[in-house]
Amino acid sequence: MRNLLYLIFRFSAFLAFLVLELICFYLIVNYNKSQGEIWAHSSNLFVGSINARSQKVEDFFELNQKNDSLLLENARLLETILNFRMTSENNAFQDFEETLQDSTLDYQLIPANVVSKTIHLRNNYLTLSKGKKDGLKVGMGVLGKNGVIGIIKSLSDNYATVLLILNGQSRTSVKILNKEYHGNLVWESSDPRLMNLKDVPRHANISKGDTIVTSGYSISYPANVHLGTIDAINYIKGSNSYDIDVRLDYDLSNISYAYVVAFQKKEEKETVVELQDE
Amino acid sequence: MNKQVTRNIIRAVFILAIQVILLKRNLTLGEFNYVHLTVYSVIIAMFPYNWNRTLIIFLGFATGLFVDIFYDSIGVHAGATTFIAYVRYYILNWMSPTEGYKKDSLTAYQLGVPWFFTYVAIMIFLHLIFLYSLEAFSFVYLKEIILRTIFSFIASLFLVMFGSLIFNPKY
Repeated sequence: MRNLLYLIFRFSAFLAFLVLELICFYLIVNYNKSQGEIWAHSSNLFVGSINARSQKVEDFFELNQKNDSLLLENARLLETILNFRMTSENNAFQDFEETLQDSTLDYQLIPANVVSKTIHLRNNYLTLSKGKKDGLKVGMGVLGKNGVIGIIKSLSDNYATVLLILNGQSRTSVKILNKEYHGNLVWESSDPRLMNLKDVPRHANISKGDTIVTSGYSISYPANVHLGTIDAINYIKGSNSYDIDVRLDYDLSNISYAYVVAFQKKEEKETVVELQDE
Repeated sequence: MNKQVTRNIIRAVFILAIQVILLKRNLTLGEFNYVHLTVYSVIIAMFPYNWNRTLIIFLGFATGLFVDIFYDSIGVHAGATTFIAYVRYYILNWMSPTEGYKKDSLTAYQLGVPWFFTYVAIMIFLHLIFLYSLEAFSFVYLKEIILRTIFSFIASLFLVMFGSLIFNPKY
């Protein structure tokens, strides 16, 4: 017994190293598998509030720039409405305004501020300043002003963690505009503007410069949200599908606010998809 | 002795705050994003020589876990810091000056800039290569791991030496 104690004492450093290293591996693996533990993420209240505070300071210095971009966005929306009014023959604008009032719209957008994000790691996340209290749910899609950002992965009362499309675990269902071929968008490069499109069949007639939009097959994003354009088409020997490089048209590293997509018929669509699987 | 402990705590708090608040917001130079300033490993490197080895390993683990909470990567940084806290002992033995570590404080002030530079460079390099290997968790991304390590290493080492020469701590 005494010898054993002596042994443990003598090798205590090595044992501590071994045990702690094993704990780390367990944490990493566990964390990669099931990402549900909220304490492990920055949606944790304490860290969230520190991040929110430092973001506030940063926000202050970027106010002008943000105002400009909001103005631009507003202008674009106004433009759309005006164009709609001009082109509609009989007073269709009346109907349009009515639909805006309608609370049974399929998609509703919940705006939220970005309080923290990473862009340069292998698996990137982003934290939003809204959570369960504001009606967010796990699995909802998140859009920026120019395109897709990611999917909500975990929630606390006031914060939400978003799995960015720039994450090794992210798969986004997309299609090629006007050609209806559909595939999965993944991130394999280290460049935050370059993504890879998989599973597009070899017989598809595609060309460089084609536009990539969301397919609308998933319950997270509405159809036809803009993503980017085809940058290069690679052929893999022995494979039936292309490996396509897609260049995103927007920069994910300077987003400061986002819109969460709340899809009203989510449960309905989910049940249908489940039935189909059975 | 007490002064040594308090100085180490102050240093740890200061460097960790800088790491998770300032350095986490990265400088991305367009499409070139291999430079990640990661300097907090110097906290573990600068713990006094006479501290218990096991204690240092636990402190290393705690430091890494703290950084992990802010980086949303539970386990990754902790694994890397535990590793360097363990190998620290062997590096110090190997680099031991002929007259031994007299003052127990591992600073440029006590042991000279060239010695400190070599020591910190070894520690930061080991930390970074272990960190990025754990982060990728497979050697498929070997090229990326190496590029990230090299560029981050140069930038971080530069920052650490800069800070060390400005503050020039005694303890």
